[in-house]
Amino acid sequence: MTLSTINITDRDHQIAKLSAIAVALSLIEFFFPSPIPGVKPGIANIIILYTIFKFDLRMGIWVSLIRVFVTSILLGTFLSPTFFLSLSGALFSLFSLLIFRNLSPKYFSLISFSLIASLAHIAGQFMIVRFWIIPHNGIFYLLPIFIISAFIFGLVNALVTSKLLKLNSKK
Amino acid sequence: MILIKKILQFFKVIKTGDWFIIILFCAFIIISTKFLWNLPQGEYLEIYKNNEILATYSLNQKITKIINGAKGETKINIDNGKVRFYSAPCAKKYCIHQGWVNKANQTIICIPNQISISIIGAKRKYDSINY
Repeated sequence: MTLSTINITDRDHQIAKLSAIAVALSLIEFFFPSPIPGVKPGIANIIILYTIFKFDLRMGIWVSLIRVFVTSILLGTFLSPTFFLSLSGALFSLFSLLIFRNLSPKYFSLISFSLIASLAHIAGQFMIVRFWIIPHNGIFYLLPIFIISAFIFGLVNALVTSKLLKLNSKK
Repeated sequence: MILIKKILQFFKVIKTGDWFIIILFCAFIIISTKFLWNLPQGEYLEIYKNNEILATYSLNQKITKIINGAKGETKINIDNGKVRFYSAPCAKKYCIHQGWVNKANQTIICIPNQISISIIGAKRKYDSINY
């Protein structure tokens, strides 16, 4: 009988650590009340952006999806509309990053990527809401609020991440 | 001085392409807000007294209407597409403070005098959404 072993690489350890931080940040965010219902800063995305720029996009995809699944299981929203909203947001923003990953780093820093991903996140969530949860055109009336908040939080998250990366490269 | 330096340093993080994306994003915000929050202009004015329709007027005129309510005379100005309560016998004057209205489905209500007006667009829209 042959023994099948799983080789756990250093990379897996990194993914696990970063996902744990991302999950913790999502949980912290969950317990803070938000001033406008439905608008959340998405501070876990700081870790995902950090992962993408410190390591690579593949690792970012891992961390992002693990974060979505683990957070939903911990909060008891697994396979509920909330879960599908966050999953579609994550998938759309990762997909947009995949499309735009060839933007030259000479002119575009992570601020651009963060803004693109935040817009894609809103687009993905709105598609799910429009076609599944509330199939009515009336919800598009709320879209500007979400686009503006995506802009603000995308920018803030990007600036925090660039500060983090700078602090980390000094060590 | 140190603060200005710090702020400048802060802006150095943003590269040329980032400014491009930021400006594009802002333009998108402005366009989507204009496009999605653009309610249709009103066409007609309906005046209600005690929940019964009293009269319907076109908004394309400049005229002052005097309506007798439960407490006295209410004057309503119509001015080429917009409407306001000009004077009312009520105590708090909420109806007057609401100012001009011009969008379809906007309403002004004066409860003490039992007079309310609402603007009707070219085609009727839903005043509530059920799902």
